[in-house]
Amino acid sequence: MMPASWRKLLFGLALLLAAGGLIGWLYGYPVAGLLVAALAALAWQVRQLLAFDNALRTRDFDTFRYGEGIWQQLFSHFERDHSRSQKNKARYRQLLKEIRKSTDAMPDGAVILDANNEIVTCNKAAKILAGLKPKKDKGQRIDNLLREPALTSLLQKGDFSKSAEIRSPLRDGEWLNCRVVPYGADQKLLLLRDITERIQLNKMRRDFVGNASHELRSPLTVISGYLDSLAEDPHIDPGWEQPIEQMRTQARRMTHIVSELLELSKLESAGRASTSELVNAGGLLVAASKSWAGRDGVPEIHVRLESEALLYGNSTQIESIVGNLLSNAIRHTPPDGSITMTWRSDKKGADLIVEDTGEGIAAEHIPRLTERFFRVDRGRSRDDGGVGLGLAIVKHILNRHDGELHISSEPGAGTRFRCRFPAARVAAPEPVAAAGSGSGA
Amino acid sequence: MEASQLTDHISRRFNKDLEELRNNVQTMGGLVEAQLSRAIAAIVSGDSELGLKVANDDYKVNKIEVAIDEECSRILATRSPAAGDLRLIVAIIKTITDLERIGDEAEKIGFLASKLAAMDRPADAYRELKSLGNHVAQMLRDAMNAFARLDVEAAMAVVREDELIDDEYDAITRQYITFMMEDPRSIRRFMNVTWAARSLERIGDHAKNICEYVVYMVQGRNVRHTEITD
Repeated sequence: MMPASWRKLLFGLALLLAAGGLIGWLYGYPVAGLLVAALAALAWQVRQLLAFDNALRTRDFDTFRYGEGIWQQLFSHFERDHSRSQKNKARYRQLLKEIRKSTDAMPDGAVILDANNEIVTCNKAAKILAGLKPKKDKGQRIDNLLREPALTSLLQKGDFSKSAEIRSPLRDGEWLNCRVVPYGADQKLLLLRDITERIQLNKMRRDFVGNASHELRSPLTVISGYLDSLAEDPHIDPGWEQPIEQMRTQARRMTHIVSELLELSKLESAGRASTSELVNAGGLLVAASKSWAGRDGVPEIHVRLESEALLYGNSTQIESIVGNLLSNAIRHTPPDGSITMTWRSDKKGADLIVEDTGEGIAAEHIPRLTERFFRVDRGRSRDDGGVGLGLAIVKHILNRHDGELHISSEPGAGTRFRCRFPAARVAAPEPVAAAGSGSGA
Repeated sequence: MEASQLTDHISRRFNKDLEELRNNVQTMGGLVEAQLSRAIAAIVSGDSELGLKVANDDYKVNKIEVAIDEECSRILATRSPAAGDLRLIVAIIKTITDLERIGDEAEKIGFLASKLAAMDRPADAYRELKSLGNHVAQMLRDAMNAFARLDVEAAMAVVREDELIDDEYDAITRQYITFMMEDPRSIRRFMNVTWAARSLERIGDHAKNICEYVVYMVQGRNVRHTEITD
């Protein structure tokens, strides 16, 4: 069914042409009559077209607003689309405003970066936290304005699973955490978060542990000193010998705990271990095994040196790893068992392995082993001499050496601690081969 | 002049070279800023290890300075830049010299910090030195920001700021002279602290120089050795 306006247009046209033809036929020129009528129709449509264009320009549509002609119809289509797009535009504008308002209300700074790390836009928090200027800094490279080496290297390396902690460029003593989230085609979102409080809390905790253990040391020295002289005093009542001996053991234990706590807190505040000092890890294994060999109740200790590679790091700390892992193994291995320590290297790095044939650890406990004071069996007595800090220390030292600790164990069969060092920490052996392999205990 | 206008060239390669050069200067600036703030932290907290680390890390600043310098010479030789580009290169060559000197001063402060850590420390932990240090660090940061944003106004603000630094340095010197007269045994220590303050004051001068190069680079006018009128 044709719309009314079409019918009206076509009918009017046909009528005009018919009238023209009829009048022409009456005068003997039917073709000329048709032509005149067609020209008149064309002239009228052209006039309407120009008028419509004029109306579009002047926004005065009064001539087209009412009626049923094709031009009125066109106008009403146009007006409907126009008002709809206006409404949409207003809605989008409102939405954009809301989004901008909400990003501005975010407590974290957000900066949108393009492929060249140039700032596309940033929110208010970025201005408050990092001093970026949302309008003026458009197109500036972010690492030209936040020049912290940590952030620069994060952006250059492109490994966005890590985040960088940088000093606030505006306020002394404040810290920002920078995370980069890549999205879309080469776009990145840089998130800035104020972590001053967390850093301060961490520092307070570290300082507290360090100070407390330090303060505990001097009274402990006095107590153990008097206990030592009491134990050697021949005039003491024999009934007191047993209690004094126990007090001495416990005082020693406490001294041990305090010194390990101090070592931990020192490790926590220390930076990455040196990359210039060379450590002979194999030699440390041999030395550690010799210092334990032949004692009562100590299982057999084997040392396997499969590599002569040296390690870049801190020798005291590596020695502490070996000592802690070995004493751990000895504590958990029956005297008739055996312990094997291995030093080996390949192209991707080096391994320091301590294996024992002890009671083993259930799988569910393994992830928690490196927690401070974690005990597999809470009920078990603490008389075996362990403090519960050894593995925490090992893990911290490995962190400082870019290494990882892998623990695998089978209950009843034994446990294996593998310290993995990356290739960057491993040095080729010196030309003069030092230690031979296959030394035993 | 806008940042983008500086590098509006037909040769995209040239554009890239200039852009990279600017970025490298900022990277160097960031390194120097980090060195300075660590040096200040070392002297204020009496951390000899940190102080030595700062002193040992100065080679990184020197290395990047040499690299930028060579790149500048290469661009001058192969591109023969003119007008704004030439000013950019000239300003960069001068800026990196000042940055390198700031690095040297930070190295000195780090070394002094490791020496001072072994001596007596005042109860206020060199508060006046910390305040001067923070002031100078802020100045350097503003200078590098003005460089990045090519912001003449901010640069002039830093130039004016330098007078305050000089006043602060004078006050500190007077204070230390009083201390030394009161207790001659502390002379050795306060001589060292005075050297550190002197280094900080010098860093302020270098930051001021960098800002003057920014004005030169953007407006082509030389504001060095003149009275500040605007």
